[in-house]
Amino acid sequence: MKIKRMFAAVSAVMVASAALSGCTGNAAGNADGSLTLYTYEEAGAAALLEQQLENFTEETGIEVDVNNVPGTGAAVYPGKLRTALAGGKGPDVWRIWGGSLGQPFASDGLALDLKDYWDEYQWDELFPQSAKDAMSVDGATYGIPVVSNRIVAWYSKSAFEEAGIAEEPSTYEELVAANEKLVAAGIVPFGTGGELGWHVMRLFEYLLEKNAGPELHDQLLAGTADWDAPQVVQAFAELKEWSDQGWLPEGVMGLDPSQEEAGFTQGKYAYTIAGGWGDTEYVQRASDPSDYGVFALPTDQDPIRQSGWVEGYMINGASPNKDNAAKLLDWLAQPETLKALGVGNTPVVGAEPDAAQYPLSAEVAEIAATSPFYTIQDQAFPAELSNSYFEVQSQVIQGQLSPEDAAEKLQQLVPAGLQQ
Amino acid sequence: MSTASSVPARTARRRLDEMSQHPWLFVLPAFSVYVIFLVSPALQSVGISFTDWNGVSPDAVFVGLDNYAHIFQDPVAMLALRNNGIWSVVTISVPIALGLSLAVLLNGSSRLMPLLRTIFYMPAVLPLVAVGAIWGWLYDPSRGSVNEILRSLGLGALAQPWLGQDSTALAAVIVAAVWVHTGFPMLIYLAALQGIPLELYESARVDGANRWQQFWHITMPGLRSAHAIVLALSIIDSFKVFDLIFAMTNGGPGNTTQVLGTWMFVNVFQYFNVGYGTAVAVIITIAALAFGIPYVLAQLRSEKR
Repeated sequence: MKIKRMFAAVSAVMVASAALSGCTGNAAGNADGSLTLYTYEEAGAAALLEQQLENFTEETGIEVDVNNVPGTGAAVYPGKLRTALAGGKGPDVWRIWGGSLGQPFASDGLALDLKDYWDEYQWDELFPQSAKDAMSVDGATYGIPVVSNRIVAWYSKSAFEEAGIAEEPSTYEELVAANEKLVAAGIVPFGTGGELGWHVMRLFEYLLEKNAGPELHDQLLAGTADWDAPQVVQAFAELKEWSDQGWLPEGVMGLDPSQEEAGFTQGKYAYTIAGGWGDTEYVQRASDPSDYGVFALPTDQDPIRQSGWVEGYMINGASPNKDNAAKLLDWLAQPETLKALGVGNTPVVGAEPDAAQYPLSAEVAEIAATSPFYTIQDQAFPAELSNSYFEVQSQVIQGQLSPEDAAEKLQQLVPAGLQQ
Repeated sequence: MSTASSVPARTARRRLDEMSQHPWLFVLPAFSVYVIFLVSPALQSVGISFTDWNGVSPDAVFVGLDNYAHIFQDPVAMLALRNNGIWSVVTISVPIALGLSLAVLLNGSSRLMPLLRTIFYMPAVLPLVAVGAIWGWLYDPSRGSVNEILRSLGLGALAQPWLGQDSTALAAVIVAAVWVHTGFPMLIYLAALQGIPLELYESARVDGANRWQQFWHITMPGLRSAHAIVLALSIIDSFKVFDLIFAMTNGGPGNTTQVLGTWMFVNVFQYFNVGYGTAVAVIITIAALAFGIPYVLAQLRSEKR
């Protein structure tokens, strides 16, 4: 009996230990000067990156080991990166979003303040101030901004033609009319998935920009305006309308956005809303890239703005190979490298996409060059607040919250969430 | 000769007797590994749960029981706790009942039995993420087999966005869990059934016992130790639920299908609230132990009797 008790006690300790031990360090780098790079490229871009990094190694003698986490978006990648850093085996260089997603890596002292390298490599000549600001925290710049994304609509010309839509919508009314024609033709208009929250959020923030306008929208994101305003209520009412009218896929809140976004090139949907990767990841892989077009979502506002954000590379503050890492950053920021990588959506001066080879990327670059942007909401808000925000949108789509109640709930959530 | 051979035998027995006075010596090597690689980090985790550590910062402020108090004020944690309860009740009872039924049915000597056993056990060997992907496809609202079958049977009105609405999402994931968890109890019960002497059934039949009486008075008591193993492991497994929820709904829609495991993950790896997330992990562990250990002890005691 005594032995059995002892066995039970040891078993209990073992079970408890096994359950808890997963929950528990930040040095990086290799003694030979080689580098580790964390990124989140999709398959096509990842292959190009590997190929180009071989050229970098040939030029500099610095080996780069790439750890790629594709298709996860902001929901998983920052956690993986942080885990690697906490475990003491973090990468020397990592790719990250700007705004609230990249900010913790800067403010926690994980990323290196790039001031010295910025001056040494004269990066001011490559990056516009606005892009630099997006990778800065409290006046210090922690990353180089190599990607500047704008959310625009990517559509199938044949789907539009089949539905009798002659022109790209230039007003919200025309977009609604296009949706109605597509549904009447048996085509689901907008390819999106709400499983991770942020893809449906792109639709809602567009509706909010359309209804609230630039000034109020910015105030809402900053927590200085009331979220129970009639414009927010109207945006929620329209979100519900998009769902109820069949303009979104059936069961949208259970669908994986990374799978649904590509649906406009697979005949599932007429269009989606995505950043510059829409060209390289979807259109260029389609059997006939000329069958696709792109347009700025019509907001009926002046100026017309798009949701946008900046992505770039940071250097691990604990890396023993900081100089090599800076060399890699400088190489990644060169217009020739960006062109070879097929990155058309970049703020880097001189890296504009080739309109003959990538006409849609050139069009998106033109939209970005001629119109301002507002920070995409999941980067404007802290992660916890974003999660609550997604939940409210889900509840509106499912009819559990009225537009008025949803706006009221955000009035309770957002100012408090922004203060934390 | 016999005297010479009995000396080393006596010596060996004496050494064994001496060693049996110190059973911890036998346990020590394995126990040391557990202490170093499991107990120590686990205790460290408990320590972290009393801080506001964000996962990487060198500084962590001691906050006492604040993280634990916050769990009970956090509506998502409470929802997750409720979901854990529902998950445990269903994914313990249904697979055990199904596993036991299948084991009794498949305990024959027909040539088909090994094939059927393999078919029913196969889901249990699949990685849970793969199970999540398979069931995600089956549940796809427009192209998934579940809705397609319903439509082909003229039951299109019952077709649902199973994972895309609060009312069905948790139940839909639980169905997948039942599918994957039935094979294990079936296997344990099948093995245990082999240990029940056939003579007991023969004499019961001679005494006029029907099948139900044989099952209830011979099979069930004969499976007591198997019940203990299956139930204890199922309870502990049910509280650790993470993979299937993460793969199929990511806790959504909204937070509808969050369980404590996924909510811990979200807090630790997305919100960087490592202190709070670790407190959730401690609660999961305590809950698993609170339900699992008493049952195992009770079973051990009843076996002793």
